[in-house]
Amino acid sequence: MKRRKILSLIITVLLATSLLAGCGTKAKTDDTKAAIATDKAVKITMLNTKGEILTQLEAAAKVFTTENPNITVEIIPVAAGVSPFQKISTMYAAGNAPTLAMLDPNDIPKVADKFADLSAEKWVKDASAGTLDAGSVNGKVMSFPLAIEGYGLIYNKAVLDKAKVDPATIKTTKDLEAAFAKVQASGVAPMVLSPMDWSLGAHFLTSLYMDQSKEAGAPEKFIGELKAGKVDLSTNTVFNGLMTTFDVLKANNLDKKSPLAGVYEKAAERLGKGEAGFWFMGNWAWPDIKKFDTANGQYGFIPVPVSNNAADYGNSQIYAGSSKFIGVDIKNNDTDQQAAGKKFLEWLVYSESGQDTLVNKCSLVPAFSNIKLEIKDPLGKSINQYLTDKRAIPTIATLPGDHWAQVGASMQKYLDGKSDKKALATDIQNYWKNIK
Amino acid sequence: MGNEKSFWGKFKTFSIYAGPSTFAFLTVMIIPFIYGVYLTFTSWDGLSEIHKFIGFENYIAVFKDTEFWTSLGFTGWYVLATVIITNAIAFLLAYVLTTGMKGQNIYRAGFFTPNLIGGIILGFIWKFVFSNILVYIGENFNLPFFETSWLADPKKAFWTLVIVAVWQYSGYMMIIYVAGFMNVPKDILEAASIDGANGFKKMKSIILPMMIPSFTVCLFLSLQRGFMAYEVNLALTGGGPYKTTELISMHVYNKAFLSQQYGVGQAEALILFIIVATVTLIQVSITKKMEVEA
Amino acid sequence: MKKQKLIANIIKTIVVCGLLVLYIVPFIFVVVNSFKESKDVTANPLALPANFSFDNYVEAFKVMNYSNAFMNTLIITLVSVAIIIICASMTAYIMVRKKWKITKYLFFIMVISMIIPFQAIMIPLVKIYGSIGMLNSKWALMYMYLGFGVSLAVFMYHGFIKSIPMELEEAAMIDGATRFQTFWKIVFPLMKPTTMTIVTLDVLWIWNDFLLPSLVLVSSDERTLQLSTYYFSGTYSVNYGLSMAGLMLSILPVLIIYLFLQKGIIGGVLQGSIK
Repeated sequence: MKRRKILSLIITVLLATSLLAGCGTKAKTDDTKAAIATDKAVKITMLNTKGEILTQLEAAAKVFTTENPNITVEIIPVAAGVSPFQKISTMYAAGNAPTLAMLDPNDIPKVADKFADLSAEKWVKDASAGTLDAGSVNGKVMSFPLAIEGYGLIYNKAVLDKAKVDPATIKTTKDLEAAFAKVQASGVAPMVLSPMDWSLGAHFLTSLYMDQSKEAGAPEKFIGELKAGKVDLSTNTVFNGLMTTFDVLKANNLDKKSPLAGVYEKAAERLGKGEAGFWFMGNWAWPDIKKFDTANGQYGFIPVPVSNNAADYGNSQIYAGSSKFIGVDIKNNDTDQQAAGKKFLEWLVYSESGQDTLVNKCSLVPAFSNIKLEIKDPLGKSINQYLTDKRAIPTIATLPGDHWAQVGASMQKYLDGKSDKKALATDIQNYWKNIK
Repeated sequence: MGNEKSFWGKFKTFSIYAGPSTFAFLTVMIIPFIYGVYLTFTSWDGLSEIHKFIGFENYIAVFKDTEFWTSLGFTGWYVLATVIITNAIAFLLAYVLTTGMKGQNIYRAGFFTPNLIGGIILGFIWKFVFSNILVYIGENFNLPFFETSWLADPKKAFWTLVIVAVWQYSGYMMIIYVAGFMNVPKDILEAASIDGANGFKKMKSIILPMMIPSFTVCLFLSLQRGFMAYEVNLALTGGGPYKTTELISMHVYNKAFLSQQYGVGQAEALILFIIVATVTLIQVSITKKMEVEA
Repeated sequence: MKKQKLIANIIKTIVVCGLLVLYIVPFIFVVVNSFKESKDVTANPLALPANFSFDNYVEAFKVMNYSNAFMNTLIITLVSVAIIIICASMTAYIMVRKKWKITKYLFFIMVISMIIPFQAIMIPLVKIYGSIGMLNSKWALMYMYLGFGVSLAVFMYHGFIKSIPMELEEAAMIDGATRFQTFWKIVFPLMKPTTMTIVTLDVLWIWNDFLLPSLVLVSSDERTLQLSTYYFSGTYSVNYGLSMAGLMLSILPVLIIYLFLQKGIIGGVLQGSIK
């Protein structure tokens, strides 16, 4: 009898709490409804798929609202391990897609039919050369380039100075080898090579496509030939040159005893502490290197050489491109919300606080030439320099979603010594032949 | 309470006792599932506005996907290893921890904690154990078995997955076995002791048969958890080294969202479901027949 | 005879203790590292914190909007578990006591449904409930937990109801009790160990669940504790110090509940033996 009473008491308390909770949320929705009626307040949402800038974006959203009082921006984060594509698919399926969606370049073509055409936006003319291409479909600008990211061989200047290596003189694979030897001789490991599949597959191996020739559209053409099975990689000069360089990296890798065991954070630590001279990575790694910095912020990029002829395409250029694009949804957001979303994007490019958010708070290299703020971090600065010197090759953005995973796995096998150049070439060729 | 034998009486009884459960169950699991099955027969890629009926095309693609079948085989071995080891350890732990040892509760809570850690942190910890701690031990104590990171070798990586899974789930299964042990009526055990039966005989003739419901549940759960393992896979090996430890759930997920072939991914998920359902149904019906009613 | 028992006991204790240490070490690892700065965590995970600081916890608490997220998670978990227990126990009971064909089929469908990979119904689920506007609310989430959780609970209750002698119920009903009263006053209390087990498993599942809330709850003030851990991972790297503090903040309540529930299971044993 007593037990039953206790049980019913617990249930009553639970039901009461949940009722109160329910009442609480109901009241809130009623309030916002009233607000919309009176001062035409617009609420927009933005999907953020760049975890490291989440807190900064949320702060920026608040600043934006103080400057535009009737627009509130809610930032929707995405969990680690969930691809932007998965998140946006589920959101469209649920019918609650965000006003602004930050996606990877190769997702854009799939979602473009749900986005607004942004070709007439103010910032289009201020975008740096080539930065809009990956986010455009059929010549129409369908998305906004958030930031430029670039990658190459990051060097620790303190280490190089001690080894008497001038990074600007490294123009060929042989030069690189010599530089490595000098660093080794000065008592420091030449470099650290990260084994992550995304690093090898999406960043290293893609030089294969981009260095084929200077002509516009050459990478896409080359991929077309790969898909048709017309390419024999073992006779391709770029492939062979690239793999020779990779062998050099392999041989001088600090982790060469156990090449697959390397971890991202550890590599940043090694470079920062001066225990390695070079690291193949991108400018997003600066916050991780900074934590261990012993070189007083003196770091920079050199391109990855692919041949022994300094004049060859790719030897003196760094790869850089916009890594995230933001689209404005027209399916689940009304015209007021779309306009508010476009305003936010404009704010990022033209307002003082917007530019401050991009460059200073989020440490991004903006894709717009009108933004004159000085880039404070050494890696961003280096990339920006290459861009200004017109020594940047736009990163290819139309790779299939699983390219980095599949090709990356083949590269890992090679790195581990379990595969040879011939097998790797066949793997890559087969991957493209089987792509739908 | 009315006539329970009449149709309306039966209907009333059913609605009161099983109504809410059945309704929620049907609307949350079954209807979306049927809809999902329907989608596998269309060309829907997860995003487009329209889709057209394409019959069995997706399923044919599944049969052609050799990686799916290799992964399935690999998963089979994984399931075999984890089910046997996890249940053995869980059962023994539960047995020991229901004999009235001192501090039983603390032990039970302790064995349960692995289940609380998941995701990235789980991956970080265990990657560190396999790549750094064991390697350190291997190098300094000259044990070649541990000298290179287990995660870098396809065969050893398999065992890292098994070890972490056993670590995570033995506590979970232990709890279910504990409840099972507690359900064995103490009076029957006492009567048997008075009759002169020793520990071993008691186990064989009384405890084991009365524990079969626990076996049903635990075997079922470990089979299901094994086949559907994803988080540990992602966090610990990520399918590596170079895709040699990709369990089937990861393959299916990647098919749908990484290769962005949603239709094929869904079809694979369904085929996986049919296979696992068959295995577990056989298991459940066998063990259910062995259950004794008091 | 006594000496043998003593040795056996000592061996038992040593083995169990040893295993326990192995099982707990990773957990202790997390606890220790949660007091270190993130870069120290990756630089030397084994070292004790150089500067023992609660900074990670304070920051995690703030960033996760802890009190709000905690309340959300608490309400969702407790209510969902309560309705699962109530509905599932009754369903399992009627399945065992009445040998109807329909309940037999229902049982098998429920068992099989536990195999359905969540990924297979994820998008259809979201499509259906999105189109009827039932997303972004705690209620929808709790309803879904009932739908998802009822199968396992019914499965577990089903096995254990069989161990309760029918004579007890028959005696009560002869004395004039309705079936409903008999169930709640006699049968349900006898299933305390099973109930406590299901409560434990379900509390753990729902409290730590990430995927379903991420699909159903969208706005930031509805977020659960798990969802609030978004803040700690970037595209390529993770802030381990914060993550670990966040993890500890999320699971400490569950550990406390579990220890608390353990007492309930002991109580259940005493009840069972008085039978």
